[in-house]
Amino acid sequence: MQNGHLLELRQVTKRFGGVTAVNCCSFELAPGKIYGLIGPNGSGKTTLFNCITGLEVREEGEIRFKGERIDGLKPHQVAHRGIGRTFQIIRVFPELTALENLLVVTWQPFDAAQDRAQELLRFVTLDRLQNEYAGNLSYGQQKLLEFARILMTDPELILLDEPAAGVNRTLLNELLQAIRNLRARGKTVFIVEHDMKVIMDLSERIFVLNYGEKIAEGPPGLVQSDERVIEAYFGR
Amino acid sequence: MSIFITPAMVGQVVISGLLAGALYSMVALGLALIFGVMRVINIAHGTILMLGAYTTFWWFQLLGINPYLSLLASMPLMFLLGLLLQYTMVTRVVDAPELSSLLLTFGISIALVNLAQLAFTSDLRSVEFLTGAFVLGPIALSKSRLISFAVAVAITLLAFWFLQKTKLGKAIRATSQNSEVAMVCGINVPRIRLYTFGIASALAGAGGSLVAVIFAIQPEMGQVYTFKSFLVIILGGAGNYPGALLGGMLLGLVEQLSSLFLTTQLSEAVAYVLLVLVLLLRPTGLLGGRAR
Amino acid sequence: MRKVLLAALVIGSILLALYPMVATGYGIRFMLQLFMWVALAQSWNLISGLTGYVSFGHVAFFGTGAYTAAILVATHGWHWAPASFTGGIAGVVLALIIGYPCLRLKGPYFAIAMLGLNEVMRVLVSYFEGLTGGGLGISLPILYASIQIYYAMGLAAIAVTATAYLIISSRFGLRLMTIREDEIAAEAMGVDTARYKLYAFLLSAFIPGVVGGLHARDQGYIEPLSVFPLLTTITMIVMALFGGKGTVWGPVLGATMLFVFQELVWARFLYLHQILFGAIIVFVVLLMPRGILGVLQQRYHLSRSL
Repeated sequence: MQNGHLLELRQVTKRFGGVTAVNCCSFELAPGKIYGLIGPNGSGKTTLFNCITGLEVREEGEIRFKGERIDGLKPHQVAHRGIGRTFQIIRVFPELTALENLLVVTWQPFDAAQDRAQELLRFVTLDRLQNEYAGNLSYGQQKLLEFARILMTDPELILLDEPAAGVNRTLLNELLQAIRNLRARGKTVFIVEHDMKVIMDLSERIFVLNYGEKIAEGPPGLVQSDERVIEAYFGR
Repeated sequence: MSIFITPAMVGQVVISGLLAGALYSMVALGLALIFGVMRVINIAHGTILMLGAYTTFWWFQLLGINPYLSLLASMPLMFLLGLLLQYTMVTRVVDAPELSSLLLTFGISIALVNLAQLAFTSDLRSVEFLTGAFVLGPIALSKSRLISFAVAVAITLLAFWFLQKTKLGKAIRATSQNSEVAMVCGINVPRIRLYTFGIASALAGAGGSLVAVIFAIQPEMGQVYTFKSFLVIILGGAGNYPGALLGGMLLGLVEQLSSLFLTTQLSEAVAYVLLVLVLLLRPTGLLGGRAR
Repeated sequence: MRKVLLAALVIGSILLALYPMVATGYGIRFMLQLFMWVALAQSWNLISGLTGYVSFGHVAFFGTGAYTAAILVATHGWHWAPASFTGGIAGVVLALIIGYPCLRLKGPYFAIAMLGLNEVMRVLVSYFEGLTGGGLGISLPILYASIQIYYAMGLAAIAVTATAYLIISSRFGLRLMTIREDEIAAEAMGVDTARYKLYAFLLSAFIPGVVGGLHARDQGYIEPLSVFPLLTTITMIVMALFGGKGTVWGPVLGATMLFVFQELVWARFLYLHQILFGAIIVFVVLLMPRGILGVLQQRYHLSRSL
C-alpha cells in the first residue's frame, strides 16, 4: 500500500439511467479501524457497497484495495482479494445446512475447513444446528450464520450492510462484541447502519451520504453535530 | 431463388409481411399479457389458438354462416376456457420458478392437443370461404389475409384502448408493473390474473379463427404459433405491450423477406435463430423491456 | 444403512449384467430404453437440478449426438461405439458454443433460449440435406446389436449417475447448488458462477450425446422430428422432477417409475396415454414439485447423496 490506505475510492460515480445514485465520492479507509456509513434512505449507501464489491460497475472513478484497482473486477474476484460483505436482506443458502453454508465459501482443504467451520458455529452458538437447513433457522439465527459465513472467508475488509436490522437487543450486543473482536484482530470493518446508537458507539470514523454525495466525515461526535448532517436527516 | 428481385416483389413481400405481422402481434399480445401480469410462460397459448380454429371450423361446418362471425363464438369460448385454466391450475404457479409454469402449461397443452385429436381426428380440415385475391397493379393481396389483417388490427386496437382507457385495463397494467404495489392499492390481483388469462386466451382464439380461413387446421398447429409469440415478445421486450405490436410486424416482415432470399426451410429457421440471437445480444428486447 | 444400500447396489448391478442371458428380445429393448431415460433424466439433473438453470431444450444434445453418430456410421463406416462417443463430444462442443452466452441469461430467458436452440438444431439438420439426409433422415446399415447396446446404455446410465454422486457429495456440487439458492450471494462469497455453470452445462451435455448415438444405432433410422422433439425434453424433466431433482437417485427413481408405467400401462392407447401424461405433469408440478426423494429428504433429513 503506497499511502497506508486499505480501501480508497476516488471520485466514484454510478448512474442508473437518469438517476445518479453515487456522485463523485471519495473515501479513504485505513486498516484496523471501524468505519460507519450513514445517510437517509436512498442516499446511495448500498450502491456504494455494490460498487466496491463488484456487484455494480461504477461509471467513473477508481476503487483501490491495498493499492491495486479493483473496480471492474467480478464479485467473486473481489471476494478472493479479501473483501467480504453481508446483505441488507439475509442471503443464506436455504437448502444447504448451516455447516454447508460455511464449507462452501472456503477453498481450504476439506478437513481444515470443517474444523474451522465448526469452531465458527460454536462461536456464534449455532453448533447444535449445524445439520439443520439454513432455511429453517430463525431470522436471528440466519443473521448469525451470515456473520459466521463472512468470518469463514477470513477477509481483511468486511462490509456490513445494516447488521442491526431486525435484531433483538441481546443478539445485537453479541454482534457488536463480535465486530469489536474483529477490529482487535486487525480486520477493518465498514458498516452501513440506520441505528444511530449502534453506529455512534462502534465507529471510529463516520461518512455521511446524501443524494449520492458525501456531505460530511469525521469522528462520531463531530458528525452528530454537523449542520449539514442534521439538515439531511431532518430538513431545515 | 430468383436472380432478379424487382421492386414489385419486394413490395409484395413487405405487404405480405405486414398482413401476417398483424396476426402475430394480436396473438403475441395475449402471451405478453400473461407473462407481464403473472410471469407465467404459457406454452398452451398456441393450443388455445388451435381450439379457436376448430371452433370456427365447426361453426362454418354446422351453421354455414360467414366464418368471420364465428369470432363471436370463439372469443368468448376461449375467454371462458382461459378463466377455467387460470382458476383451477395456473394460479398456483404464478410467481413460482419458471420451470413450474413451463411444465404446467406444457401438460395442459399436451392434454388439450390429444383431446382434440381424439375428438376431431388429425385429419386436415379447412374452411373454404374466401378465395382469390385483390389485384393492385403488380401486387396481389389474398382476400382472406387482407380481412384477417383488418380484423386483427381492429381487435388489437380494441385491446389497447381497453388497456389504456378502462379501469380494468389500467389495473392489468398496474399489476404487470408491480403486483405487490397493485395489491396495496386495492386492486384484486387474483381476479386481475383471472381476467388476464381469459383475455389472452380470447386473443389467441381470435387468432385461431382468422388462421382457420387461411391455413389448414389440425390439432398440432398451435405449437409454431406459441414459438412465434415467444419470439415476438422477446423482440419487443417482455412486459412491453406496444413492443409486442412492433415485434409482431417485424417478425412478419423478416419471415416474408427471408422467404425471398432463402429456401422455405431456412426461412423457418430464421425465426428461431432470430430468437436465440436477440436473447443473447439484447435480452431486454429491441425496444427494451424490463431486464428481468 | 449405507452398507445395505451398497449391497443392494452391487446385487442389482450383477442381476442387470446377467439379465440379457435370460431375457427376451422385448425385455432387453425395454431395459435398454429404461437405461436411456435414466441417463437423460440424470444428465438434466446435473445442470438444472443443481444450478437451477432450467434447460428446456436439452434434447438438442441428444439429437446432435444421434446425428453425429449416424453420419459417422452410415457414411463413414465407423463402429457404433466410437461413433456414439463422438456423439457425446459433439454434444459438449454444442454446449460450449452456446453455453457461455446462454448461461448469462436469467431464468425464463434461459429456458426459452434453450427451447429456441433445439428448434434451430432441428431445422439446421433438415437443411443440410447432403450431410444429414434432410427430412428423409438417415438409415443405418442393419445390425442386430441389442445386447451390446443394452450394456452400453447401462454403462452410460451408471457413468452419469456416478458423476452425479461424485458431484453432489463434493464441495463442487455444493457450490453449484449455491447458484440455485442465491446466485448473487454465491458470487459475493467467491464462487465464480459463470465458470461453474459452464462446467455443469458441459458435463450435462455429454451423456445425452452418447445416448443419442446409441439410440440411433438401436433404432436403425433417425430423422429430425424423431430426435429433436420437445416431448423428450419434457419427459426427462418430469422424470427427474418426479423422483426428486437435485438428488442422486431421484432421476433414477423417477425415470424407472414413469417409464415402467408408460410401457406397461399406457402405451396401448396413444392419445389416452398422452392425455394421462399431461395429467401427470400437471400433478407433479402442482402437488409434488420436490419429487419423492425431495420430500423424503426434507422430512427425514436424509443425505442428499441418497
